[in-house]
Amino acid sequence: MISVNKFTLKNGLRVLHHEDTSSQLCVLNTLYCVGSKDEKPDHTGFAHLFEHLMFGGSKNIKDFDSELQKAGGESNAFTSNDITNYYLTLPANNIETGFWLESDRMLRLDFNQDSLDIQKNVVIEEFKERYLNQPYGDIWLKLLPLVYKVHPYRWPTIGKNISHIENSTLEDVISFFNKFYCPNNAILAISGNLSLEKAKYLVEKWYNDIPPQNIIRNTYLDEPKQTVPHKETVHAEVPLDVVVKAYHCCRRMDADYYKTDLLCDILGTGRSSRLYNSLIKGKSLFSELDCYLTGDIETGLFIIEGKVTKGVDIYAAESAIIEEINKLMSNGIAPQELQKVKNKTETNIKFNDLGVLNKAMKMAYCELLGNIDLVNTEVDLYNSVDANDIVSIAKEIFSENNCSTLYYLSI
Amino acid sequence: MNSIINRSVAPSSEELNNFKIIEGNIISISNNIDLHIINAGTSDIIKLDIICDGGVRNQKKNPIAAATSALLREGTNTKTALQIADELDFYGAYLQTHCTADDSIINLFCLKKHFDSCLSYVLDIICNSYFPDNEINIYKNNSIQRLLVNKQRNSFLVRRLFYSSIFGPISPYGIYSESDDYTNFSRENLLEFFDENYKNKVKYIVLSGEIDNSIINCCETFFCDLKNNSKSIKPITKSGKINDLQFFDRNGAVQSAIRIGRRIVNRTHIDYRKLQILNLILGGYFGSRLMKNIREEKGLTYGIYSVLESFIDDGCFFIETEINNDLREKGLKEIYLELKKLREILISEEELILAKNYLLGSFLRSIDGPFSLADRHKILVDYGLDYNYYYEYINIIKNIKAKEIRELANTYLQEKDLSEIIVGSK
Repeated sequence: MISVNKFTLKNGLRVLHHEDTSSQLCVLNTLYCVGSKDEKPDHTGFAHLFEHLMFGGSKNIKDFDSELQKAGGESNAFTSNDITNYYLTLPANNIETGFWLESDRMLRLDFNQDSLDIQKNVVIEEFKERYLNQPYGDIWLKLLPLVYKVHPYRWPTIGKNISHIENSTLEDVISFFNKFYCPNNAILAISGNLSLEKAKYLVEKWYNDIPPQNIIRNTYLDEPKQTVPHKETVHAEVPLDVVVKAYHCCRRMDADYYKTDLLCDILGTGRSSRLYNSLIKGKSLFSELDCYLTGDIETGLFIIEGKVTKGVDIYAAESAIIEEINKLMSNGIAPQELQKVKNKTETNIKFNDLGVLNKAMKMAYCELLGNIDLVNTEVDLYNSVDANDIVSIAKEIFSENNCSTLYYLSI
Repeated sequence: MNSIINRSVAPSSEELNNFKIIEGNIISISNNIDLHIINAGTSDIIKLDIICDGGVRNQKKNPIAAATSALLREGTNTKTALQIADELDFYGAYLQTHCTADDSIINLFCLKKHFDSCLSYVLDIICNSYFPDNEINIYKNNSIQRLLVNKQRNSFLVRRLFYSSIFGPISPYGIYSESDDYTNFSRENLLEFFDENYKNKVKYIVLSGEIDNSIINCCETFFCDLKNNSKSIKPITKSGKINDLQFFDRNGAVQSAIRIGRRIVNRTHIDYRKLQILNLILGGYFGSRLMKNIREEKGLTYGIYSVLESFIDDGCFFIETEINNDLREKGLKEIYLELKKLREILISEEELILAKNYLLGSFLRSIDGPFSLADRHKILVDYGLDYNYYYEYINIIKNIKAKEIRELANTYLQEKDLSEIIVGSK
């Protein structure tokens, strides 16, 4: 149970607070409602590049990291399709330093060309290290445009290509900041050894004078319903063939999400799951096989991704996946099997609730989803799913007309 | 709040004092096995670690230690791999097994309410693992295929070459597996290793979480027939090279993976904790000199770190990064320049204070929560240390002087002692 206090400042900043006196630390997690989906198609990767620039100094503070480290703190950030999330951990006694740093970079970033030029290089090296210089590293670069034809989820957060990163200018940085980095587009979650009274005092002290902005988002189209199978084959110098099947599924905040997530567990999460036992253990068709949901704010994906055993025909391996899915749809799910994935989910949720950082991130994300109560109610939502619900969801999702398949073949 | 705040001045922050380290208690269960208890936190989740002697150093050949550890849970005399996986999943539990160079660990995470149900599985695999042939074959095939993929990763290749070079190819800290090693072992090899290092015996047990008497009694009941493994671990052979230079050419690689480093004293040496501070300044955090210079000032890489690693009978220090091939020489020059600066120029008071404060904060994070505390506790057990080790560490951080940092750099970071291993394209 995470007890949450919630309040909103006049400038629109939503604040969540959880006091944990068993910790000597305190965390500030700042979620900005801006992600790669807010980029223009000819200028992708920018939200993530911008995240790097947020560590390059702000209006009144030259060096974010040094000031934080001097107070014994540490921070990092990540960018997704939907959000950019910044977090810092400090010894609880020094948490005011965190408020000072976070609020100043919300007030105004120090826009400077040197910092932009260097971070462009850093991000380009990141692009190479993670997407080009790894076996299978470019799978998402290939898969997303196959899945999405009009929606901005069709490019990855790192960007479509390196030239988009290279072409970023200081004007882009300033206009992006003015558009999205403001209190009414942010959620601040505080978790740790800090009383509500003190938290309120510090939030008001450091954030009250930051003006709200008029947020204007790019408009984009919803992805139209897929009606034919999407398939693509690529060849690369990799040792094993990989097949990726991506099915459109619901949004993270839909009631169906819990059914879909349990479906995913039954099929492919862990050593007792169906695909693992049938296709890795039983038939040795795959050496690795993963099932997961992207869990996006807008309609997301149900992904099945497997490394095909050397010597096995990739299309035969793919058919075996579909056969297992069909078996689930026609034979249903035993009560014991459903209870198993529910029990596992309960442990997962409790495990993810450990530690002040996890709690802060979870609070901010549930608030983004539009229901802070989800912090404590998701276990019940999973428990209320029945086996027939899951089979119905499977029937909605698993059709080739709803699927994009990438065949990534060894040369 | 009407008063105008001054944003250009940092709020006052305190030097960290009063570290509350929740210490582990040790009780001996009926057969002289030590049960270490870290009672902290407020969660329903219990963590159990069973430490055995199944580390790489005790194996006769590769990859017996790793294979035994991986296959422990894949079937016992009475249960199949699927039954074990299915039933543990039903209790919502996570059972993981892994081995290091020095030991092997069976680790269980589960909710308190399922603890006793899960313990019977843990006991079963320690006493009755069966190593079925079909599971061995699956393990072999999948390991070989994973190796094929890993061999396309520069970072993987450079790690293997580096450890093998500095520790020697037969040291447990330097050895690595090739496809043939996976092909050439038998079920008998595993059974022999299992009998010697796991069967009915353990080194010690660590329990962490909100631990009450019922949990402790449960461990007593289940583990009372196990024997304490008093067999000593095998001594290791040290045959590594000094100042080795290797370039492994991988045609078509976009970036080069670089490791520069050496064997060094381990945790039991008086200098180790001071070296942790030196390492931090050089490359141990985001504000380090390497990160500042090579990433934040020159944009040559996505990341560069230095690492100090302790093993029971050896230790090493290394710098690691991945840099674009055509900027590699520039990056290398800067790395050696940073080492030279540490040897020759006294660190400024400002930089030293920043590093000290960061390290104290970092230590505070490392003792937050029962499972982090359990990790800190295990280190003490393995190296025969007590909690003073950490209290002294805090004092060492607070009191170290710039001169000592420079002396350490001169003792330990001479170029002639460093090896340089690169995997990339010329």
